[in-house]
Amino acid sequence: MSGGIVEVKEHKDGEENMAAWLVGIKTLKIEPYHLPPLGPHDVKVQIKALGICGSDVHHFKNMRCANFIVKKPMVIGHECAGIIEEVGSEVKTLAVGDRVALEPGISCRRCNLCKDGRYNLCPEMKFFGSPPTNGSLANKVVHPEYLCFKLPDNVSLEEGAMCEPLSVGVHACRRANISPETNVLIVGAGPIGLIVLLAARAFGAPRIVIVDVDDCRLSIAKNLGADETIQVSTNIQDVGEEVVILQSAMGSGIDVSFDCVGLNKTMSTALNATRSGGKVCLIGLAQSETTVPLTPAAVREVDVIGIFRYRNTWPLCIELLKTGKIDVKPLITHRFGFSQKGVEDAFETSASGRSAIKVMFNL
Amino acid sequence: MGKGGMSHGSAGEAKDGEEENMAAWLLGINTLKIQPFKLPPLGPHDVKIRMKAVGICGSDVHYLKTMRCADFIVKEPMVIGHECAGIIEEVGSEVKKLVPGDRVALEPGISCWRCNLCKEGRYNLCPEMKFFATPPVHGSLANQVVHPADLCFKLPDSVSLEEGAMCEPLSVGVHACRRANIGPETNVLVMGAGPIGLVTMLAARAFGAPRIVIVDVDDHRLSVAKELGADDIVKVSTNIQDVAEEVSQIHKAMEAGIDVTFDCAGFNKTMSTALSATRAGGKVCLVGMGHSEMTVPLTPAAAREVDVVGIFRYKNTWPLCLEFISSGKIDVKPLITHRFGFSQKEVEEAFETSAGGGNAIKVMFNL
Repeated sequence: MSGGIVEVKEHKDGEENMAAWLVGIKTLKIEPYHLPPLGPHDVKVQIKALGICGSDVHHFKNMRCANFIVKKPMVIGHECAGIIEEVGSEVKTLAVGDRVALEPGISCRRCNLCKDGRYNLCPEMKFFGSPPTNGSLANKVVHPEYLCFKLPDNVSLEEGAMCEPLSVGVHACRRANISPETNVLIVGAGPIGLIVLLAARAFGAPRIVIVDVDDCRLSIAKNLGADETIQVSTNIQDVGEEVVILQSAMGSGIDVSFDCVGLNKTMSTALNATRSGGKVCLIGLAQSETTVPLTPAAVREVDVIGIFRYRNTWPLCIELLKTGKIDVKPLITHRFGFSQKGVEDAFETSASGRSAIKVMFNL
Repeated sequence: MGKGGMSHGSAGEAKDGEEENMAAWLLGINTLKIQPFKLPPLGPHDVKIRMKAVGICGSDVHYLKTMRCADFIVKEPMVIGHECAGIIEEVGSEVKKLVPGDRVALEPGISCWRCNLCKEGRYNLCPEMKFFATPPVHGSLANQVVHPADLCFKLPDSVSLEEGAMCEPLSVGVHACRRANIGPETNVLVMGAGPIGLVTMLAARAFGAPRIVIVDVDDHRLSVAKELGADDIVKVSTNIQDVAEEVSQIHKAMEAGIDVTFDCAGFNKTMSTALSATRAGGKVCLVGMGHSEMTVPLTPAAAREVDVVGIFRYKNTWPLCLEFISSGKIDVKPLITHRFGFSQKEVEEAFETSAGGGNAIKVMFNL
């Protein structure tokens, strides 16, 4: 297949490419999606599995997420995997029929951050489902070859889609230097907290304590291998008392805390609970302005490390899944098909939280 | 001179002809009195030093005014002062590298050397740290002190005792520059042009920072910073509404991305400015301890991977400070703005001058 440039309005078999468009607050519509032409280094991917992320839900509910504002209809979704249908003329490492996981973000590869390897911070980043870039909850998408990663035979397409959230955990563990010597505290047992739990264990963390307000999520965390789970409150007055409980649950100093929520209380807990010289990794982005005891942490040289998405994580994620070091399958709690009703039900389920961890589309 | 045996009993009972050791004691709020200070016996690894130069730190002033500093509370009379240098008078039996007559700068803090933090080299964080003038440990504004020899650093001939005393505040700047990885590629913003902002600026330059912008609310301090080599200075306000506009001015002054910001003040406004002004992937180094709990836009910074690096005192900085000073890479002398002798009246005046801020940067005692 030489992969010439064809304007795809209709598929070969007569079907139009359809996608889930965010057209207004809480309004998703499945409608035609005209793909751009296939460039020489691009591939066309038939999407088979796609997970819903908290940011997708946030866009859905608010038509914005932090500084990203949805100003015109946009295809939603970014955690995906599929099968190669067509390859561009210069594509060498992939072939039609290959099963691939997709890394969503296309960076400029020219700016200093990109050239430094920190491409996740590229100011020109074009990221699936971050306005104005269309996402990938569609029959097909066009994407650069170098952002599609071939899946081993024993890794399913759903697991391929899970590489995206897993990448957040992997990137965080790298930035925080998780190792066989770092005792880890995870604040928040939602999808991101649970991913971080799995990643931290894969990086060798000897002891992991995880906390949440929801005992259902805590029991999932226990099943996924947390050494200990602790239920905490939403009341900021309880921080002092809870820190004592956490530290004694850990048994020794807490070397790294991951705040997978990002509220005043969770940050305060993390900053207070971490040992002198340790690190707090802020992944959760719940609150913009936080009131936190930053100075008492800084005078103990507890550093705060920020996390934004990931970089260069797909190969490692695929390796961890292939070898069984990480099992993401238990995180997929609900499945839906790609229909108007399926899409609406899926987003409602994901938004409701509690027992819904990862809601997955099978296309 | 003996092999450094014990100084018997209390220095109050002076050996024949020797004077009593006197020190400046903090007795209560705003109350310093020069009174006798009995030294402990000289251990085998200790030296006795005759103090010659002692600088006043913001923390010393804070103790004078409030009898506390963060969680450290002065519950009984305590000798004040910790930024010091002097001349060795006596050495313990196992001391090999120092002899009486040597001019030395003192690193104030004695850590335990047994805990995990100490063994890892992060001894500044030792929970058992005994630090000059951090209660209940006595300080060094005295005629003489006893101190471990390994915390006394010999001054090169070209380095004065006052410059030796300046190694202590300079160490804070050096430690911060190390933790923040300052080098020839890091453009630096310094928030606050007080004594700590200024030593941080001098240290950053010595580490190779190509461009340094410093901000403050005070014109005079900004002009001192300019004389000390700041590439640009920006006057800022105390009003937190002004952050966005000031960040814009700061960016214009830097002319490039800000890789590292040192907050040498430590207030909501300075931290908010620092977090906003620093480029994606950069670092904010929190050196100043203005406010305990801060309301800051932490999430937007974290979402740009701007890391916050904490600083507490220093570790293993004296040799480098002395190298910087003796080579001329750093000149601390302009920071010493006022000098006083060691008498009751002058001790009181010195602290008043230091507390007054304004033109006073480093107030130095000459003993």
